Amino acid sequence: MGNRLLRLTALTTALGAGLAGLSAAEAATLKLMFQGDPYEVKIITDTAKKFEAANPGTTIELINTPHDAYNEKVGAAVSANALPDIMELDAPFLANYVWSGFIQPIAPFIDKAVLDDMTASNVSQGTYPVDKQLYAVALVDSTVALYASRKQLTDLGVRIPTSVEDAWTKDEFEALLEKLSTTPGVKWPIDLFRSYGTKTEWITYAYEPVLESFGCDLIDRTTWKAEGTLDGDTCVEAAKMMQSWVQKGWVVPQSAGGNQFYAEGRPAALAWGGHWFYAEAKAQMGDDVVVVPLPKFGEKSASPNGTWIYAITKNASDPALAGKFLSFMLQDPDYRAAYREHAGFPGLKSFAADSPLYAPGGAMALAFEQASKSAVPRPPHPAYPTITLAFQKAMNNIFDGADAKDELSKAAKEIDADIEDNDGYPPFGGN
Amino acid sequence: MTSISHPATLAPAPSRPVPRDWSRVIAVVAVSILALVVISPLFLLAVASLKPDRFQILADMGSFRAFWVSDPSLQNFRDVWTFSGALPFGRYLLNSLIILFVTVLGGVFLNSMAAFVLAWGRLPGRAVILTALIALYIVPQESIVLPLLTIVNRVGLSDSFAAQILPFMASPLYIFLIYQFFIQVPRDIYDAATVDGAGPFRIYWSVFLPISLPVLATVAILLGIETWNQYLWPLMVTQTDRARPISVGIASFFGHDSVYWNSAMAASVMMMIPVLIFYLAFQRWFVSSFISSAVKG
Repeated sequence: MGNRLLRLTALTTALGAGLAGLSAAEAATLKLMFQGDPYEVKIITDTAKKFEAANPGTTIELINTPHDAYNEKVGAAVSANALPDIMELDAPFLANYVWSGFIQPIAPFIDKAVLDDMTASNVSQGTYPVDKQLYAVALVDSTVALYASRKQLTDLGVRIPTSVEDAWTKDEFEALLEKLSTTPGVKWPIDLFRSYGTKTEWITYAYEPVLESFGCDLIDRTTWKAEGTLDGDTCVEAAKMMQSWVQKGWVVPQSAGGNQFYAEGRPAALAWGGHWFYAEAKAQMGDDVVVVPLPKFGEKSASPNGTWIYAITKNASDPALAGKFLSFMLQDPDYRAAYREHAGFPGLKSFAADSPLYAPGGAMALAFEQASKSAVPRPPHPAYPTITLAFQKAMNNIFDGADAKDELSKAAKEIDADIEDNDGYPPFGGN
Repeated sequence: MTSISHPATLAPAPSRPVPRDWSRVIAVVAVSILALVVISPLFLLAVASLKPDRFQILADMGSFRAFWVSDPSLQNFRDVWTFSGALPFGRYLLNSLIILFVTVLGGVFLNSMAAFVLAWGRLPGRAVILTALIALYIVPQESIVLPLLTIVNRVGLSDSFAAQILPFMASPLYIFLIYQFFIQVPRDIYDAATVDGAGPFRIYWSVFLPISLPVLATVAILLGIETWNQYLWPLMVTQTDRARPISVGIASFFGHDSVYWNSAMAASVMMMIPVLIFYLAFQRWFVSSFISSAVKG
């Protein structure tokens, strides 16, 4: 009797444990917060469904968040202690998220094949410089290039650069802008995409390379001090140059919208645009659109990198499952095809090999070459949210006519004050 | 004996021009121009929603071509609906309508009850409560978003309709607006109802509510439009499509790489229609409430 009771108890316990295990498996839910264009929303939804079908019992709950309010949503999730298992994040904010303890090292959970496939720039955008660990992965990266009309440049007798080394120098570029300003039909020589707004990451992302090419930076990346760097003579000179373009009426104003490069009559001759702009320009202008590298304003040329990448949060209930999903997504042929169709900038070597647009001879090959030779990541520091906001404010004021030295000094002080307020964000920078 | 005639009954002198007619023409022209200016963004929105090429919408934006579509198409509307699954607009629209309906109905009821008690209830410290109410109106909603979010999460209301309805039903502004209307009701009406044996709720329900339709319609319209256009709060409090309203759904067309103007325009037209119907249904009372509040005596 005693034994029978023991066996019954053991059986019940085993059955109970089995059922509990089953229900736990059935209840496996991954929450994924992301943002993106409509085609991305669709393809991520489709990929999630495919993963669910391949992994019965797993549910992917997608938290699609509009791009413009993404950081607010992250802030809300943090304050509510409701971070999802996987979150997409803008690469330059990675250092802040790691320092804040939101995300965890991702390499142990991602397929080795994917890790080995990442381009150097992709690894760089996902790596936290303090512990040198990888915290995020993505299929794509990004860059900014110059777009022009091949016919217009040829008619004007302007040299068309064919490699990064060959990029227009500062004098050549300003002479071209000057020439374009008097060319019939050209209303604005260049579109810097001020239409993206005054409080947008575009400002830091797209204009910081100008500072880099001049030979300065948003912040000294050794001492992590902005004063003396951002408000140094070199940065002031760079800011004054861009201000002069605006004051001369060479830059498409914010109110004119971001389509002036390919609008009827082509009122804007050049476009300083992200890699994604190529698809739009190509759709409107066909083969006339030509991609050239960003100019060399000083000794070297510089370009930005970094895009929206995926990380596993510290809240993740099952990091291994989260990694499994990300590995699945990044290798999904349909997911890749959707990005390829929209000129997605390769962040995986195999994706680059699959993308004729970026392969040698492709229309965007020069942009891919530029990224490998001249990309400078935005400062990978936990104070980056403050750095970018301060720079955005300064550049807007400078464009509106404020004194460049004063504005950059204010920005530098603001950045240093934030770092000081946080005791240097220890252990960042060895503090 | 001098008789005084009303100016309106005087026949115009045949030999002199009538300045009043000219002023009427000028007024009509001015109002028409003003109406055109006011209605032009809506017209532009409707026209743009019929242009399937998003690049064309942008290209036309700087000229009068923005107000003209040569080959109208409903493709954008079809596209918005074909996103169903990824972006279920039908669901978003339904969610918004549910939130609108419950918030407005509950809001009108709650605010008017609070106003009635403030105006006619035996309430100790009424002056203090009224002052506090006005003070509450000054507090911007943005400043309470985070504490409110914490509360909503702690009580387990995240990603629900309730999280989007309950915090916004009662509003100091609407309570005060209805209170202002209620205190102007003659005391005799309240006393007569009391003599007839009606209790406070009966007086509120059967006497005060029926005579308050204009102010209630005003509250309904203001609260309705406010609810319909909510963006930041639903964005923060909803995680999935279960309770997400259309205002947040539309924002998906403003991607990080491009703005999908064609889809955004079509979705905006769809979003506008219910609120337009809502406004038209209540606007007669809305206008009359303004007129009555402007006429003294």
